[in-house]
Amino acid sequence: MANEELIYRITRAVYGRLGAQADERTVEALVMDVYRAIEPAVGDGGRGAGAAGVGAAEGRADRLIVSVFGVDHPGIVAAVSQILAEARCSIIDINQTVVQGKFAMVIVADIARAGESVAALKERFRGEGERLGVHIYAQREDLFNAMHRI
Amino acid sequence: MEYTQAEILQTVRMTEMEHLDVRTVTLGLSLRDCVRSTVGETAEAVREKIETTAARLVPVVDEIGEELGLRIANKRISITPASLVFDRAREASELMPLARAIDEAAGRVRVDFIGGYSALVHKGATRGESAFMDSIPEALATTERLCSSVNLATTRAGINMDAVRRAGELIKEMAGLTRDRGGLACAKFVCFANAVEDNPFMAGAFHGVGEAEAVINVGVSGPGVVNHAVRHAPADTPLDEMAELIKKLSFKLARAGELVGREAARRMGLRFGIIDLSLAPTPTPGDSVGEILEALGFERAGAPGTTAALALLTDAVKKGGAMASSAVGGMSGAFIPVSEDAAMIEAAQAGALTLEKLEAMTSVCSVGLDMVAVPGDTSAETIAAVIADEMAIGVMNNKTTAVRIIPAPGMKVGDVVEFGGLLGSAPVMPVNQFSPGVFIRRGGRIPAPIHSLRN
Repeated sequence: MANEELIYRITRAVYGRLGAQADERTVEALVMDVYRAIEPAVGDGGRGAGAAGVGAAEGRADRLIVSVFGVDHPGIVAAVSQILAEARCSIIDINQTVVQGKFAMVIVADIARAGESVAALKERFRGEGERLGVHIYAQREDLFNAMHRI
Repeated sequence: MEYTQAEILQTVRMTEMEHLDVRTVTLGLSLRDCVRSTVGETAEAVREKIETTAARLVPVVDEIGEELGLRIANKRISITPASLVFDRAREASELMPLARAIDEAAGRVRVDFIGGYSALVHKGATRGESAFMDSIPEALATTERLCSSVNLATTRAGINMDAVRRAGELIKEMAGLTRDRGGLACAKFVCFANAVEDNPFMAGAFHGVGEAEAVINVGVSGPGVVNHAVRHAPADTPLDEMAELIKKLSFKLARAGELVGREAARRMGLRFGIIDLSLAPTPTPGDSVGEILEALGFERAGAPGTTAALALLTDAVKKGGAMASSAVGGMSGAFIPVSEDAAMIEAAQAGALTLEKLEAMTSVCSVGLDMVAVPGDTSAETIAAVIADEMAIGVMNNKTTAVRIIPAPGMKVGDVVEFGGLLGSAPVMPVNQFSPGVFIRRGGRIPAPIHSLRN
């Protein structure tokens, strides 16, 4: 486990200096740099904090589970993967079935290098879902991990 | 694939169709370093601290909600009981600048409620706290977001009956001051026995003196999810199996809530505090504790057996949540606010649910008589006596109990008070007409029970 207490303290100190308006990603990167630099010295002894989670629960915060449900017709997989490709998200896993004309697909996407925010991505899924007549949901993977894994 | 399609479907169904949401992310904030020698200086220090610390609360929480695809209904703040922040007032009116500063700061950071205009007077009140209690009606009537509570009893101290009597009068005063809004101020005022220090839910939230500088507490909620599962279980499923079903769902709800809390704390650079497991209903149909009770096998909530069913529900929720998280706190049970729960409203209107049955139910759920409207001509003494009954249940059973009661001005049994929004609408319920006057006027203290002597 990462030393959460230490990370909290570093984060507080950074915000204390930069003010509440500081850019969140910059702060996060800064905290991680400081933490990695001092981690050997403070003798964390653990695995350290991976990119996925400073204090976050298990599961990956940089993966998105995209689930698509609706009536089957050609072009659904193409349209959804097109959006992911344009946003520079790679597909890690994909599972798609059609049962009695009902289309169901689940995609696990890596959003670590995504060129846009999750909110923007979801907005595009919403628009595309309406056009295709299917429901597209996108949720971070760690939610599923939290709910379904002990 | 790491998750089965059934698991993914279940989460999507819960978040999109069954109203699974995180009811509140509440920033608990200590104001103990804001104490100054005048109320004006104190108010300014309080305003600055709230606005600085909570500045990023709403955007951060909204962003997390969007990423997880999980609705986070409310963003709130709980503060150190304000009576401790300024204990020098001798007149109620002196405290208004403090009340307004807290309310305005909450508005600036865009939270919908801020809790902690509170006093802990379970054993006695200081001079400052007496003036503070007197200030509560005007403070609530002239602010928008401020919520207030008083702790009137604990298992260790017994019941402060002088304060209980005063609380009855205060409730009548605040109903009068907000006569044009159905007595709305009463909906923002809670009387507690054994109040908890880390409760994220309003109107009773405050940041206790044993708490850290600033923490993120989460109130997760999913009556809709539990209702859906209970409703779809076969009618002949034994109750132990129903308990098991609820327990498993509670585990999942708690895990989702904890994820949100830890993530919000991390992004704000604060500590994660607790997750409160309480099932908290909303006026949305389906998102109702009353409906869960009915789905367990009653024609109406309030029918004989409802207390037993509520005991099963509350216990199963706790067991699932305790397995899910080691940071369980707050109330953690089930809320039964009448006005905020469609099935409870209907049950009260149908005569299935009475004040007395609600009182019995509070001995096995997380809080107490919550958002109950009574006729406007109910006397302060009767209200105080209703509070005393509830305090006694809490004190003797070593649990938190509370009263949030609205003597709706000008209204009679059968009328409905509309508060709107999450507060919903409350049917005016009949109150026992026999007087408790002499008992209440005795004042003094009901001594702590024998089982308080545990050392």
